Amino acid sequence: MGVTKEQVESSITAKLSPSYLAVIDTSGGCGASFQVEIVSEQFEGKRLLERHRMVNAALTEEMKDIHALSITKAVTPDQWKKQQDTEKSQAAA
Amino acid sequence: MRFSTTVPTDPDTHEDFQPTNKLESSGLSLKDIVEQDVKDNSVMIYMKGEPALPRCGFSSLAVKVLREYKVPLAARNILEDPELKSAVKAFSYSSSSGTVFVDAFVVANSVVVERMLEGETDSNWPTFPQIFIKGEFVGGSDIILNMHKTGELKEMLKGIGAADAE
Repeated sequence: MGVTKEQVESSITAKLSPSYLAVIDTSGGCGASFQVEIVSEQFEGKRLLERHRMVNAALTEEMKDIHALSITKAVTPDQWKKQQDTEKSQAAA
Repeated sequence: MRFSTTVPTDPDTHEDFQPTNKLESSGLSLKDIVEQDVKDNSVMIYMKGEPALPRCGFSSLAVKVLREYKVPLAARNILEDPELKSAVKAFSYSSSSGTVFVDAFVVANSVVVERMLEGETDSNWPTFPQIFIKGEFVGGSDIILNMHKTGELKEMLKGIGAADAE
């Protein structure tokens, strides 16, 4: 059996207390492949490699059944706000 | 009597019947191979398949990004050797930029930190490809792509092509 989107969400929520979290099942339903976007204060002061390690560690159990985990976003609330502002101004332009 | 599917830890079990660990017996030499790989090659990638024929979309992506920089790329196919796979995982855990790594985590003081320091190695980087640049573990395909976009990768690869092309 694969892993559900809800399991991934609850594990990340429990360990990284994200202010924003998006989990997308990219496996087509079999639960072996996920894409995640996380915004968390716990990423503050950490390099990208360390942030990805934190996510991997939060999903230790799930990773036994997940084939592919793509972390497309691992940012702090401040970084995220800046990114959104940039996107908005680009869209407006 | 209870029936159990787990291996008994009973000290009376004869050693002939104890589970063997192939990884442990060959781990040392494989670790040496990985260590040598990473030392000898400025850009080393452990991937699924060969650079010319990747067997996984993520490995393919990583190779594509690195090729953009025209740097010499050394690769090993972890699909050919499951034991190598374990050796790389253990190595990428231990080799990632020592002091910075530990300092940051001492400050962070979270559950994740404790688990990492306790040495749950595989959980910290369970996926492939795994890319090492100048002897340091950089990360997987998401990180490489991200660093490519931000320009960090260019900075990191500076000087490699020229030096190795001689």
